[in-house]
Amino acid sequence: MANFMNLIQNENMKIYRRVRTWIMLGIIVFLPILISLGVLAASGTDAGSSWSMMIIESTISLMLITIFTAVVASETVAGEFTWGTIKLLLIRPWSRSAILLSKYISTLLFALALTVITFVITLLINMAVFGSSDGEQLSSVAGMSNMEYVLQFYLLQFVSLIIIITFGFMMSSAFRSSGLAIGLSIFLLFAGSIITGLLAMTDKPWVEYILFMHLDLTSYINNAQGPFQNHPMSLGFSLGVLAIYFVVFNLISWSVFRKRDIAA
Amino acid sequence: MSQAPVVRLQNVTKVIGKRTIIDRVSFEVRPGEVFGFLGPNGSGKTTTIRMIVGLMGMSSGDIHIGTHSVRTEFPKAIVQVGAIVENPEMYKFLTGYQNLLHYARMNPSITKERIQEVIELVGLQDRIHDKVKKYSLGMRQRLGVAQAVMHRPKLLVLDEPTNGLDPAGIRELRDYLRRLAQDEGTAVLVSSHLLSEMELMCDRVAILQKGQIIDVRSIRGQDGDAATLEEVQFDVDHPDAALGIFEGSGRMVDGQLALSLDRAGIAAINRRLVEAGINVYGIHVKTKSLEDQFLEMTGSETIG
Repeated sequence: MANFMNLIQNENMKIYRRVRTWIMLGIIVFLPILISLGVLAASGTDAGSSWSMMIIESTISLMLITIFTAVVASETVAGEFTWGTIKLLLIRPWSRSAILLSKYISTLLFALALTVITFVITLLINMAVFGSSDGEQLSSVAGMSNMEYVLQFYLLQFVSLIIIITFGFMMSSAFRSSGLAIGLSIFLLFAGSIITGLLAMTDKPWVEYILFMHLDLTSYINNAQGPFQNHPMSLGFSLGVLAIYFVVFNLISWSVFRKRDIAA
Repeated sequence: MSQAPVVRLQNVTKVIGKRTIIDRVSFEVRPGEVFGFLGPNGSGKTTTIRMIVGLMGMSSGDIHIGTHSVRTEFPKAIVQVGAIVENPEMYKFLTGYQNLLHYARMNPSITKERIQEVIELVGLQDRIHDKVKKYSLGMRQRLGVAQAVMHRPKLLVLDEPTNGLDPAGIRELRDYLRRLAQDEGTAVLVSSHLLSEMELMCDRVAILQKGQIIDVRSIRGQDGDAATLEEVQFDVDHPDAALGIFEGSGRMVDGQLALSLDRAGIAAINRRLVEAGINVYGIHVKTKSLEDQFLEMTGSETIG
């Protein structure tokens, strides 16, 4: 019927008209700048090298982005239940699938925006503060330029981010309280990686199918066997496992949301 | 009225677990009609309304809005419906205008001019660019009405619309609904447990109990019906003497003479009392209110 873009515009309005979102954006913009200036003030221009500073700051910012997008993804559906607005949202000439898809896309766009901002800010500030010294080599792979390494780093991080969004989104569809959905998503993300870290020390083969074994994809850039010494895997295997989780999470989100009776 | 119904429920049934919440409910609402949906708490009013607007699925039966089934052609059916389901919940972090814009974007027929028109209609023009969190309940209710009528729906559904409204707000809403039904031919379906409200607002009411419709009756058109017998009480100075005149037909109620009469009968009795030298201080027609009728039908039973 009407233009699907309108639905995405609506969801974007509900993300960007909130003070919370601008606090998140502010942190993402100013944190790398503060770190670079702090390092500069403490030890002068020769202390840092721009590329490794960029990777350090990107890692920190992307960790924050993981939390921020998990919050936004967890709230996008559950929030409508908490606010009671779901009743007015679903009585419009759109299928529930279309409404859910618009929410999913707007959350992905939010994650993409934060990631691109982080890339640009960390690149510019470190070039400006520490200069584009090419004396260092980020990758241990011969012939890979620093820019290539950074782009691969961001690409692989964004793949993990998509999975985390999809996970948060599933929690959001499954729970009608945004507080519960946000809390549980964040808790599972942290508890999951800690528990998996412990499980990885055992030599049980099924450990390799746990989601959290595959969220640190950037290790594959320098090491084809991945992040866990005693569980050598390949990037293709990790992406395959993530793809299965991606499909399962989405199937759960969609089937729960499409069939649910809006009773409360 | 021979017009096609705006909404038609056919044997709508809802089973949750082993309990039948709604049991073969069927009724129609015609254009320009204000149809009340009455029942004690837990009788299934809200569930039925949520099935009409597609928020809940039905176990069997079907609901048509115009010619489109809510089940199989949901977008085409719902585009003709405006609704306030319980309290109008809005996005508090958005302004009133942004809230309306949000819903307007989801419906291709709504222009910017129409949004402006509706804002003036509900009288929110001075505060429309304030955040909704600063609104009073009455203002939110107005915003709720605005989003419900923005796309000129053929059917307006209101679930307990007077909850939390002050008497002036209730009156305003009632007048507005009646005007909408009369002037634009909108069918209005309104649920409430406030009987006196429904009596003032509705043309017809369906009484729902334990998930079944136990009665559908007209409210308007009964008043002034000359043939109906009603209980009439006469406040007189000598009730015993008066009762003596009407031995057999008259009764004594609260020290007053009581008779079952039609309109012509009232005048005749009054004349005879005066001719007999009895002073008449007042004549009261005891109309059975919807409340009396409702309690007669549902009152003694437990909510189930």
